[in-house]
Amino acid sequence: MMRYTDFTSHDLFLLLQGLGVSVALFAATTLIGGVIGLGWALLRYYRVPLLAPAAALLAELLKNSPVLVQLFLVFFGLPVLLETDLTPVQAALITLSGNTAAFIYVIAVSAIESVGREQIETARVFGLSRWQTLRRIVAPQAAAFGFGPLAGLLINQLQVTSLISVIGVIDLTKVGAILNLRTLKPFIVWTVIGLLYYLMARLIAGACARVEARLRAHREWKGL
Amino acid sequence: MGECSLQFDPTSLVPYFGDLAAGARLSALACALALAGSLLLGTLMALMRTAASAPARRAAGVYVDVFRNVPFIVQLFFLFYGLPEIGLELSAFATGVLALSLAGGAFTSDAIRAGILAIDPGVLEAAEVSGLPRSAIYRRIVLPIALRSAVRPLGSVFVNLILTSSILSAITLNELTGSAKIVAADTFQPFEVYALLLVLYAVLTWLVSLSAGALHRRLNREHAR
Amino acid sequence: MIHIEGASKRFGSNTILDGIDLRIAPGEVVSILGPSGSGKSTLIRCINGLEKLDGGSISVDGHRVDDPKGLQLARRCSGTVFQLFNLYPHMTALQNITLAPIEVLKIPRARAEQAARELLASVGLGERADLYPSQLSGGQRQRVGICRALAMQPRYLLLDEVTSALDPEMTAEVLAILGKLARSGTTMLFVTHEIDFAREISDRIVFLDGGRLLADLPAAQFFAFDGGLAQPRIAQFLSKMNKS
Repeated sequence: MMRYTDFTSHDLFLLLQGLGVSVALFAATTLIGGVIGLGWALLRYYRVPLLAPAAALLAELLKNSPVLVQLFLVFFGLPVLLETDLTPVQAALITLSGNTAAFIYVIAVSAIESVGREQIETARVFGLSRWQTLRRIVAPQAAAFGFGPLAGLLINQLQVTSLISVIGVIDLTKVGAILNLRTLKPFIVWTVIGLLYYLMARLIAGACARVEARLRAHREWKGL
Repeated sequence: MGECSLQFDPTSLVPYFGDLAAGARLSALACALALAGSLLLGTLMALMRTAASAPARRAAGVYVDVFRNVPFIVQLFFLFYGLPEIGLELSAFATGVLALSLAGGAFTSDAIRAGILAIDPGVLEAAEVSGLPRSAIYRRIVLPIALRSAVRPLGSVFVNLILTSSILSAITLNELTGSAKIVAADTFQPFEVYALLLVLYAVLTWLVSLSAGALHRRLNREHAR
Repeated sequence: MIHIEGASKRFGSNTILDGIDLRIAPGEVVSILGPSGSGKSTLIRCINGLEKLDGGSISVDGHRVDDPKGLQLARRCSGTVFQLFNLYPHMTALQNITLAPIEVLKIPRARAEQAARELLASVGLGERADLYPSQLSGGQRQRVGICRALAMQPRYLLLDEVTSALDPEMTAEVLAILGKLARSGTTMLFVTHEIDFAREISDRIVFLDGGRLLADLPAAQFFAFDGGLAQPRIAQFLSKMNKS
C-alpha cells in the first residue's frame, strides 16, 4: 500500500541531487561531444577518405532521429549485442555525447564554410600548411561564426538531458517523477522542476552572452 | 576475452512490422494534428509578438520563452498528471497532441515572426494607404507573404515535432517508439528494433525536409523578389 | 479640396516641414519641385497618413487625417503611386488591382476584374494581367501601380517620384500615361524631378526648399524670369537640373 506524504525538507536535498546529476551529465557530455564533433569536423576539413563520409553519415543519423530512441538503442540494445552490461549513467553518457557530437559537427562545418574560401586559398598560396591555415585563419573566424548556434545548442542539449530519466538515471526529472508519485501534487512538483530547468537555461544563455560580448570587444578593431 | 558473438538478425522483426506500422500510424496522426495546432497557435503568437500593443508582445514573449527553456518531457508530465487534478480528463493521445501543439507553437511562432518581419515595408504601406482594414491586410497580405517565406523553417519545426513525438511513449502512448518498446520486449532483440527505428525516423525526417524544400520552391517560383 | 495648413514636421533636431500652406482643388494638376531633402515626399506621406504631422493640419474633402476615422475616409478619396512600386509580390497584376475594390468597396469580383482588365488595357498591359510583379519590368510594374491606384476611383491621385526608379525608356512610357491622365481631368499631385514633364502638364508648380514653401505659382509664371526664376534659390535649382 502506498503512503502519500507531503513535501519534506529531505526533498530539497533530493532536488539538489537530481539537479547535480543533470548538470554533471550535461557538462560531461557537452565536453566529450564537443571533442568528438570537432574531431569529425577535422576529418572533413582534411578530407580523410572513408572516415570523413562515415562521420558525416553518422552525424546525419544522430541528428535526425529521436534522442529517446538513441537512448533505448544504447541502454537496451548494446548490452544484448555486445553481451556486456551497461548502467543507465554509462548509457546516458555514451548517447548524449554522440548526439551532442553530431550537432557540434554540423555547427563546426557550417562555421568553417562561412569563412571565405579566398582566405583559405590565399593562405595556401603563401605556403601555409593545412594545419597552420586552420589554426591561424579558419579557426578563429569560424569560432566567431559558430558561437551563436553553439549557445542555442547548449540550451537545447540541456533540455535533452531530461530524457535520461526514462532509462532510470536519477536526474532532476526523475526526482520530479518520484516526488510526483509520492506526494500526488503534480502542479507543484512539475512547476518547480520546470522552473529549475528554466533557470539553468537562462544561466547558460547569460553566460554565453557575456562570453560573446567579451569576444566581440576583442575583435572590435577588425571592423573597418 | 572469450567469444564475442555478435548477433544481428533484422529479419526476425518481419512479423512485427504490422505492430510497428500501427504505431507509426498513431505517430503520424499525432504529428499531423500537432502540426495544425502549432501553426494556429504559432500564427497567433507571431501576430501578437509583432503587434503594436506592448502587453500583447510581452505575453506572447513569455509563452515562447517558457516553452523553449523547459524540457518537453516536463511539459508533458505537467499536463498528463496535472490536468486530471483540475477536472480535465484527457486521453494520453489528446494530452500528447496538446503538449506537442503548445511546444510546437513556440517554435512555429519564431519562424512566422521572422517571415512577418521580412516583409517589405513599402508593400504594407501600399496596403494601408488603399484603405484596407487591418484584418484584410493581415489576411490577404501579411500572412500569405510571411507563411510563404517561412516554409523552410516551418519544415524543420515539423521535423522537430516528429522527433519529439517519440517522447509521448513516456505517457504510455503506443505510437511508434512505444510500439517498438513492446516489440523489443517480445523479441529480445532490442538492438535490431531500435536500430531500425533510428533509420526509419531519419528517413522520414529527411523526406519531410525534402518536401519542405520542394514546397518552398514551388510557392516562390513566381513570387521571387 | 486638399487643405494643408501650417503643416510642420520635425525629426529629431531636423525640421522637415516648416509651416506649409497649400490647397489643391479638384481637377488641378500640381507638381511639387525642390532639391532632395526638401520635404516633398514627406508632405505626400502626411497627406495619405503614412507620416504624422507635428503641427498644423491636413484635410482631404473635409476629412482630417489626424483623426482615425477621418483618415480612413481621406484614404478612400485618394490614391497613391509609389516610387518603388510596392506591388504585392504574391499576387498577379490583376489581383493587385482588384484587392482593394473587392475588400473595401465591396465590388463583386467579376465586375472588379472586368474593370481591372480595362485599366490594364488602357496602359498597354492587357495581356499581362496574370503575371506576377517579378515577371514584369520596372516600367510595367509602375503602370500596374497606377492602375491599382486608379481602381479605387480616387478624387486625388498622389504620385511620389514615380519615375525616379526607372530608366529613361520606361520613364517615358509612364510619363505618357500620366500625361493622358492629367489631361483627362484627374486631380494629381506630383512630387517629381522631371522638370520638363512638370512644366508641360501642370496647372501649378509648388517649390519646396528646406521644408519651406518658396513658391506656389501657375506653371507658366513659375518658369518666367519675373516669376519663379526671380527667386535665386529656384533659379539655381532649375539651372542645375537643366545641366544634368
